[in-house]
Amino acid sequence: MPKYELVLLKNMMQPGYTGSLKDYEQTGGYQALRNTLGKVAPTDVTGKVMKSGLRGRGGAGFPTGVKWGFLPKDYQGPRYLCCNADESEPGTFKDRQLMERDPHQVLEGIVLACYAIGAQSAYIYIRGEMVLGSKILEQAIGEARAAGYIGKNILGTGITVDVWVHRGAGAYICGEETALLESLEGKRGLPRVKPPFPATHGLYNKPTVVNNVETLANLPHILTRGPEWFAGIGSPPKSTGTRVFCVSGHVKRPGNYELPMGVTVRELVYEHAGGMRSDKPLKAFIPGGASAPFLTPDHLDVKLDFESVAAAGSMLGSGGVTVMEEGTSMVWAALRLMEFFYHESCGKCSPCREGSSWLVQTMRRIIAKRGQIQDLETLTDLCKNIAGRTVCAFGDAEVSPIMSTLKHWRHEYITLIHEAESANLIRPESTGARH
Amino acid sequence: MPNQTADMVRVTIDGMVVSVPKGTLVIEAARRVGVMIPHFCYHPKLKPDANCRMCLVEVEKMPKLQTACSTPVAEGMSIKTATTVVNDAHKSVLEFILANHPLDCPVCDQGGRCDLQDFSHQYTPTTSRFAETKRIFQKEYFSPLIETQMNRCVQCLRCVRYCDEVMDVKALAPVGRGTMTEIKHFGAHALDCEFCGGCVQICPVGAITSRLSMYEYRPWMLKRADTICGYCGDGCQITVQTKNNQLIEVNSAQGAGRNNGDLCAKGFFGFHATSHPERLTHPLIRRNGALVQATWEEALEFIAAQASRIKQDHGGQAFGGLITSRCTNEELYLFQKFLRLAIGTNNIDSSARYGHMNAVQAMQRVQGTHRWSVTFEDLAAADVLLLVGTNITETNPITGLKIKEAVKKRQAALITIESLQPAVGTISNIANLSEHHFCVAPAQITAAVLGLLKAVVEQGQIDKDLTQRHPQYVTAVTARLQSLSWPEIQAATGMDVAAYVAAAKALAGGKRVVAVAGQGLLRGERGYAGTMNLFDLLLLTGKLDQPGCGLAPLTEENNDQGAIEMGAAAEFLPGPSTITDRAGRDRIANLWKEEPPPNHGASLVEMLDRARAGILKAMFIVGENPLASLPATVRVGESLTKLDLLVCQELFLTETAALAHVVLPVCSSLEKDGTFTNTEGHVQAVRRTVEPAGECCPDWEIFSALSGLMGTPLEYGESREILKEIRSLIPGYGSLGPSPVPTKVERAAIDRYLAQGFESDLAGRYQLTAAVSQPDGTVQVSLVQSLFHSGKLSTRAKGLLQIEERGYLRINPQDAARFSLADGNRVRLSNARGEMTTDVKVVDRVPEGQAWFPNHFSQDLNRLFDCVIDPDTKVPSIRAASVSMVKVS
Amino acid sequence: MLKDKYKDEIAEILSRYPVKRSALIPLLYLAQREQGYITEASMTEIAGLLRLTPSQVYETATFYTMLNLKKVGKFHIQVCKSLMCALVGSDTVIGWMKNKLGITPGETTADGLFTLTAVECLAACGTAPMMQINDDYYERLTEEKVDRILADLKTNGTCPLKSGPYLWPEPANAVKRET
Ligand SMILES: Cc1cc2nc3c(=O)[nH]c(=O)nc-3n(C[C@H](O)[C@H](O)[C@H](O)COP(=O)(O)O)c2cc1C
Ligand code: SF4
Ligand code: FES
Repeated sequence: MPKYELVLLKNMMQPGYTGSLKDYEQTGGYQALRNTLGKVAPTDVTGKVMKSGLRGRGGAGFPTGVKWGFLPKDYQGPRYLCCNADESEPGTFKDRQLMERDPHQVLEGIVLACYAIGAQSAYIYIRGEMVLGSKILEQAIGEARAAGYIGKNILGTGITVDVWVHRGAGAYICGEETALLESLEGKRGLPRVKPPFPATHGLYNKPTVVNNVETLANLPHILTRGPEWFAGIGSPPKSTGTRVFCVSGHVKRPGNYELPMGVTVRELVYEHAGGMRSDKPLKAFIPGGASAPFLTPDHLDVKLDFESVAAAGSMLGSGGVTVMEEGTSMVWAALRLMEFFYHESCGKCSPCREGSSWLVQTMRRIIAKRGQIQDLETLTDLCKNIAGRTVCAFGDAEVSPIMSTLKHWRHEYITLIHEAESANLIRPESTGARH
Repeated sequence: MPNQTADMVRVTIDGMVVSVPKGTLVIEAARRVGVMIPHFCYHPKLKPDANCRMCLVEVEKMPKLQTACSTPVAEGMSIKTATTVVNDAHKSVLEFILANHPLDCPVCDQGGRCDLQDFSHQYTPTTSRFAETKRIFQKEYFSPLIETQMNRCVQCLRCVRYCDEVMDVKALAPVGRGTMTEIKHFGAHALDCEFCGGCVQICPVGAITSRLSMYEYRPWMLKRADTICGYCGDGCQITVQTKNNQLIEVNSAQGAGRNNGDLCAKGFFGFHATSHPERLTHPLIRRNGALVQATWEEALEFIAAQASRIKQDHGGQAFGGLITSRCTNEELYLFQKFLRLAIGTNNIDSSARYGHMNAVQAMQRVQGTHRWSVTFEDLAAADVLLLVGTNITETNPITGLKIKEAVKKRQAALITIESLQPAVGTISNIANLSEHHFCVAPAQITAAVLGLLKAVVEQGQIDKDLTQRHPQYVTAVTARLQSLSWPEIQAATGMDVAAYVAAAKALAGGKRVVAVAGQGLLRGERGYAGTMNLFDLLLLTGKLDQPGCGLAPLTEENNDQGAIEMGAAAEFLPGPSTITDRAGRDRIANLWKEEPPPNHGASLVEMLDRARAGILKAMFIVGENPLASLPATVRVGESLTKLDLLVCQELFLTETAALAHVVLPVCSSLEKDGTFTNTEGHVQAVRRTVEPAGECCPDWEIFSALSGLMGTPLEYGESREILKEIRSLIPGYGSLGPSPVPTKVERAAIDRYLAQGFESDLAGRYQLTAAVSQPDGTVQVSLVQSLFHSGKLSTRAKGLLQIEERGYLRINPQDAARFSLADGNRVRLSNARGEMTTDVKVVDRVPEGQAWFPNHFSQDLNRLFDCVIDPDTKVPSIRAASVSMVKVS
Repeated sequence: MLKDKYKDEIAEILSRYPVKRSALIPLLYLAQREQGYITEASMTEIAGLLRLTPSQVYETATFYTMLNLKKVGKFHIQVCKSLMCALVGSDTVIGWMKNKLGITPGETTADGLFTLTAVECLAACGTAPMMQINDDYYERLTEEKVDRILADLKTNGTCPLKSGPYLWPEPANAVKRET
């Protein structure tokens, strides 16, 4: 099995590492902060992050330094950083580990980002269910505050950064950055119409950056070891650094694997995750969380970087890789995800709100063998009419399970419908005409 | 002037090129070239939310379809709204929206004027592909006036957004999430809000409808007529809809009138006063002590005979006339002409005296005009607004919306001097939006104005130009202010120097500053003095004559402004010009072919005194009910019963009318033609929307008939002819166009005031009112407007009675605790003058130590009040009294 | 009244935000902690604290699945049913729960101890099947584990099998951080 240097998970893999401030400092923690605050100009920090090629780990993969650069230069009022710790994308569980096991790494990243963008306040929006994670973070903030890494006049530099943990309360959509801001403002988590973007009108209408936990955790390393080092990892120039891939489903060793971007799915599944659970052939996988279209065994050699996965017709997304073995019903799998999206649609946009319920009901009917062949056309139409027509990217996400399974495993749908038709010959009472 | 071309962008819409201001939304730009882009969630009043996705269009160079409602135009943009792709998108969104829609159009009140119906028709989807079970919401009782049918809801949230963004009420909540989102209100009880009807009006489908007219009509059966609401001085345009001469509903079209289509509960739900079963429908004559039905001939001849006899025996001075300023300009004009010309007296008063006379006198004195120098548009565009004693939501709700617009949409700085605490409640509270709030007792509102003045002077914020041109004014006022001490001001108002300094700084720094004075100031004991001081504030800061700046006193009744301008006051001839003004008298003499009486007339209280003394023998009372609205100390009953002739023109048999010798039934404002002049001075057409009840006729016809019978015929074929005559006195009156051109302040008048005019009462009005001690067990009770009523007429409107059916004493939570009171408890209020019992309501916004009682339910409470008359303006002030309060079981 | 009992905590929560409304979800959590669910009275009180209308509190409260507007059992069992857990047996776990507790998702046991809910992904897909009971995660569920958890909760009100801080792969001598 090829071995790679761990970056984000390195500390926590040390035997006995607790994630306490002491442990973190012993592994060189907060050195980046010491060497940067007041010593490197904020714009240069942004410059370095741009140069590193770091792209957002939350899903969209937007270049982090470029995003920071969108903040108005001459704006005098407050600015905010929001750390997106909502981690709600099914198949994703990396931020949880980063926060629970090495919270100071995240906090150091947060302070560095605040310094770069001129924010004095940062909120960590953590998904409500992660009670443990929020406690660990709060404890760590307390430690860091006591040690002078957080708060007023950090290490005597005159720089102020306050960090608070804000718990969500159960809504996937609040991972979407503008819904997150609405939620943080105490409102319903409905995505905002863009433009304006958070960079100019974010939290409380002030310039704001939203970055994912993993994105921020990379910052201390980039600043300590240099952008060139970071840019040399993975598949430069567009996909640099490592990714913490979350492997779930039918593998022997599901879990988080930090690997350079650009490793193949085959390597991830068969070498790192121990191969298939029951040694059955792999039937399908999702490369980047529930929002990413399903791929097939034909794609096992696709490199896990932004461009390659996109070229294969899916997306790297949040790095959640879910593996399914031969024998799994793809219609069922798509329905399971569709049910998730139906449950989580915020209800703002008509196509998404009404479409998700329509799609779920149709899928349930097909699974229940009450489908009809024209349902497939309806499904396709509905998906097309949702995608690209909504306020946020949820609309695009929710159709990908159905669209991709219809594309690769259409015959499974047809089989169910045929079974439905023949079943109806025997059991006329269960015709699809119940509606 | 902003650079026209730099602020305009050129865009192409479906091949048509149009120039629009930068920032215009695509949907609005399209409308300019006649292209209607289908939409549900878009509304010009609301911030774009782009949730329905119905308005998708193609924008060149953009990969995805864009929502026209949220995309601002950019120079050179090319937009296509009618391509196959766009059409398919519209169809598909409609398909989604219709999927869960119940399609119950046959039983839906919106059927026939429903956006969803219209768009469905336009895109003719043949059959629904949606074969699943439709979502069903549990039917829930919403409120007595508003009905919800959530299965019809398209989740555009226009109602919720309107309730928040425009009204600032925030009563509606989208509850739940996803497809199960429904619009609700909080709590297990019925909806409790401002009942502005905005949600009913703004709902594009039939999800929210009015219960007052439920199932009574199909839109195409209704006859519509535009007129002006008769309740408050805001003067909203309403569209009255009738079916077979039955009032069915009232609404106001988006963009219509000075109200821009917004209404309050009175406008929207208050129209049933007109169709109340107790309306008077026949003339009544007192025979053998009882009022009995008579014919018009009998009644009019009786009056004419009596009046002629009294005139013969005692002269014109034995007559008095009182008219409500709810009448049309034409009626007000003819009333005073009748009294001045046919009877020969200047003993004329109207209800405008209570609420508006102080302001008119102050305006005349300082700026030489008698009306606003600003418009509603100026309020909305102001950058600093000073509200003094307005309680604006309750008193002038639509003017309040302009203030909210300035603050919420344009970030104007709001300074408020109000007897009002910031607190969230079921109706909006202007103090919540205030940046500098001075919560003071009603009697100390003027003290807070003085505090602001003192801060302006001490902070060196006096206009330089003024100091140069009128040093003696500046010196005199400064000296007066210096003699006031901060500790005294602080003791009187409870606000510290820093608060005054901060507010004064904001005020002086403003470019477009409007001061708005309301009944709390204008009707107070020191209403005139306080208004004068407000003028000084605007003068000292150099604002008064600047564009977009001015003083805007709010009128309470719908035609207070018109009543003064029509000369329905002892001291004013039409114009108005003062009774002694030579030019004014000549103009009138010219037109009337006779001089109006020369001597000073009596105001209402003076008339009543004279009646009691037996000097005044006859009174014409039109639409007023002094017996019920004046405190007992004025002894109205005693005066009226002494009269030889009391004629009342009324819609209902009021307490006063019950004492009359003759009662004449008259039209409500929905039953007649004419004009009203709203608070900003805009003259608007009032139209007959239903046939009069019974034999009712417009008030002016009565004056016209009586004058004929008395030998001085004032003949007019219709009210327009009276308006024509008014216009010959006041050129242009009533044809001011869609938005009023405000009268400019007269520089010469201002100079006169600054040179000398300011002096006469300077000492008096630059004085603090001693803070009254509040003995244990007492509260300061004051009469206030309620949002849901206006005068006594509204208490006959069944819709409004469902919201507020009687008067409650509203008290502060601390006082409630102090007196061990809770909602619904009964209390006895008493003072040296008398006592009454009532129920209490605990309301956070009432300041501690105070208690509010709605003045349209105040008959019993009036006993407890004293009446103080302003020596300069004769305005009776009857608003506050100290009473002890005890709980009764 | 929350504001009497939790004066300092409320003040601390309010101090975190420049705009009061942001404290809404934290205060709703406080109310839920106090009574097990969010009552109308507490929504009204919170509205007062934040200068909101009760409707504004209500609309937010009903958007989030973790805020209960109805009473739930002492132990709220939430079994993840999303695809990743379903692939490795979450439906079976729900089946066990139904058998052992005699309730279906959405119901509460007669003794008021357990409420069962089937929920969407809780970000523990690598350790599926999993569930959350009140604040704690329980992962890699087996039938024996479930039995032990339910028994422990009934008798002790807590169970040592709760998991976290999450680490994978687990080094031989990983140390748990005390919280
Ligand atoms: C429906 C939806 C859900 C999302 N959920 C998450 C999430 O749980 N965590 C996250 O970090 N980003 C999530 N995102 C992405 C965020 O919108 C945003 O792109 C990200 O926080 C930016 O941070 P990054 O640039 O560091 O990735 C989501 C996006 C969408 C459209
Ligand atoms: S009462 Fe006043 S605010 Fe209300 S609708 Fe009538 S004119 Fe407008
Ligand atoms: S009108 Fe544009 S999205 Fe609704």
